[in-house]
Amino acid sequence: MKKSAVGSVFALLLISAVVLPVFLSSYQWPVTARDHLELKGVEESGATNLVSAIYLGYRAYDTLGETIVLLVAVTGTIGILKKAGAVLEDRHSFALPGEMRRANYMRTHLLEAVTSKLGPIVLLFGFYVMLYGHLSPGGGFQGGVVVASGIVFLALGSSGNASSALIRQDMLGRIEAVAFLMLLILSISGIFTGEGFLDNPLKHYSSLPAAFIIVLNIIIGLKVGAGIGVMCIIMLGKE
Amino acid sequence: MSPEGLAFAPVLLPLLGAAIVFLAKAFFRGRGAVIAEYTGVFTGLYLPWLALIFLFPVVINGSAVTGVIGHWNSGVGISYRFDGLAWMVNVLGYTLGGAAWLHSLSSGPKGPSFSAIFLIQTAALGAAIMTADLFNLFVSLEVLGISSYILVSSSEKPGAALASFSYLMVSSTAMVFFLLGLFGLYRITGSLSYEGIAAGSGHLEGNTLATAVISLSLLVGAIAIRVAVMPLYGWLPDAHALAPHAVSAVLSGVLIKTPLFALSRILILFPIGKEAGQLMSYAGAATALLAVIIALSQKDAKRLLAYHSISQIGYIVCTWGAAVAVGIGTKAGTLLMAAAFLHALFHAVFKGLLFLSIGSSVDAAGERDVYKLRGAVSILKRSGDKAAIAFFGFLVGALSISAIPPFNGFTSKTAMTYLLKYYGQSGTVLYWMLTVAGAGTAASFIKLSRIYWPGKDEAYRDLPDRKGALAVLPASVSILFLSLLCIAGGIFTPLIFRTVTALLSGSPLSMGEGFSFFSAGNLMKSLYTAGAGIFVFLLATGRRGGALLTKVRERPRSFQGLFVSYALAAAAMAGWLLYHAFL
Repeated sequence: MKKSAVGSVFALLLISAVVLPVFLSSYQWPVTARDHLELKGVEESGATNLVSAIYLGYRAYDTLGETIVLLVAVTGTIGILKKAGAVLEDRHSFALPGEMRRANYMRTHLLEAVTSKLGPIVLLFGFYVMLYGHLSPGGGFQGGVVVASGIVFLALGSSGNASSALIRQDMLGRIEAVAFLMLLILSISGIFTGEGFLDNPLKHYSSLPAAFIIVLNIIIGLKVGAGIGVMCIIMLGKE
Repeated sequence: MSPEGLAFAPVLLPLLGAAIVFLAKAFFRGRGAVIAEYTGVFTGLYLPWLALIFLFPVVINGSAVTGVIGHWNSGVGISYRFDGLAWMVNVLGYTLGGAAWLHSLSSGPKGPSFSAIFLIQTAALGAAIMTADLFNLFVSLEVLGISSYILVSSSEKPGAALASFSYLMVSSTAMVFFLLGLFGLYRITGSLSYEGIAAGSGHLEGNTLATAVISLSLLVGAIAIRVAVMPLYGWLPDAHALAPHAVSAVLSGVLIKTPLFALSRILILFPIGKEAGQLMSYAGAATALLAVIIALSQKDAKRLLAYHSISQIGYIVCTWGAAVAVGIGTKAGTLLMAAAFLHALFHAVFKGLLFLSIGSSVDAAGERDVYKLRGAVSILKRSGDKAAIAFFGFLVGALSISAIPPFNGFTSKTAMTYLLKYYGQSGTVLYWMLTVAGAGTAASFIKLSRIYWPGKDEAYRDLPDRKGALAVLPASVSILFLSLLCIAGGIFTPLIFRTVTALLSGSPLSMGEGFSFFSAGNLMKSLYTAGAGIFVFLLATGRRGGALLTKVRERPRSFQGLFVSYALAAAAMAGWLLYHAFL
């Protein structure tokens, strides 16, 4: 134990010493990309929110990669969860004495009432964040995670029987699969319309310059929301 | 279709295939789901060959498909470069990927999730080798990484999850430092594209040069973990030994090499990159030699193969590093790089073959211990593999890796050692290190072949016939296919070598005046090496040798050791480069 601690501290100190000069550099900051974005960013991409201009415009290919990282992580997590079995070992109950619950020991009436009312509102907010990503802070990833929490709320408030199709695992799986396919088709379609890979294929069909970014935001949001939502529902477990 | 569109086919078709597989999983049940899944896999693993065939005339004369994705300004967009190197690495990946997936139909794990992630991994390989943007390389390596962690953990073997976790922890840690290195280079050059970085780092001095050099060493360190060069190999044996067989084959054959060839694109940008190549070359030779000693000591069949992957990647890194050190654009550099790629390609084929055929054999017997398992041929016959094709595959693979003519390992190892001696710095030392490692390899495969020796197979006599002949058919087809490639690769090496040099430099080169792969001298050398291998095998099975090897096998290994070795390696690379930059 002692020896491993010494090793860890040694490794930490050594790597810090290596990295330190990178932070201490006093070289002037690069300005090329910044100036380009400031002068041409809105005009070229149509997005007022320059962050979304970068991640769905200039560097959309990286975003495609990161979406896939999330997809693989969710698929892998679900695989491991299913192999391990989602059985709650601890039968500890949060229910109040008067509730006399038989199903869903881990919940209370209060929790269910609040989450089932909040769920739709959270979903709505998620779609707002998704749709307005090109104008204000937000976008597909953030909106998708909010949507996923809305789905979790709905699942918590469903008192055991599915009150909404949105919390069914098969339904979420379908949304995720279709959204992923749509994302790819949209990325590739530029090649066939003569624009090139991940170039805006809607350029000549839409008067709204940000149309491509908006559509990408919606699709990524649906994919992220469904993926994280289904993972959380599996984690909630069946009882 | 334009070359610009076609160049992305090796990345996009597997992704499309993965999407089809996910759809199959979500919408279909039963037979329909299987048909849809196979359609997806066909789209992703076999259809890209069409694109590669059409791209061949584009890249053969040394030209490349380049541009910025989405046609943005090159200062802000993502640049890509599909050239001969990208084409070759894609060929390597799709050859082995197609064969390995076929084998997984027999050996598992089956199912749409596995197929989809397998396809995504293939796509990430294509993306990593054709990118010309540092951050995009980071993303590609992340996709590559996460898909391989998941694939390793998809095995039923106990310990696979832990192996996958160690791999994840150490390589994520290194990727953080990769990101820091990326930040350092961006800070100085204001660009993420390779072209921009090269333009911005032309004449640096003092503090700024130190920042650039350290950033470069952080990038190299993170990639060296993926390549599993000594001393950064610690994660590999468990991950490769415990993964499903098809995944082991791809991890060993393709995954550890792609980042290496992607790294050559970065090192060429910096004058100091040559020194980094030189250190990697030395580390590669040490890896080849040390890993083969550890391999000789193993008793788990697949773990033994995993250590051989490290040893063989040592050969490749050694030659690759020498190519970088003499300059990739020069004639010597092209020849060395071609030899390194030749061995990467041939190693992918024969190591994939070995993993698949050993995998089939140990599955049939239900026993992986080299010292216990005997008579695997008759076990294979009873398990449905009537012609013992897995044994045939092992034989071809073992003869190839032991560099016996006319199999492919013989020609690629001859090319590497010959060129290293001729062109490399302290080439004679490297030559002898690799030659001694070759003897160790032969010894180790004599040891592994003992599982097929007839003997006390009474223990396995009452094994039930677990699989029908039909179930082993896909595995047999993939093993036969790879065996054929091993033999054809060896015989047609001169042609392949000329093609590889043409893809790298634009004009075909040959090894040298009057050089022949199958000359008497080279054949004699292979005979000597094999003889030395038998001698080493006898030494290793002796009482003293056995005791020594047991000590090597039982050497302490620890989780935090992975991180200590990473810190040491990164510091060593930074120190080496700083020394050469300033002194």
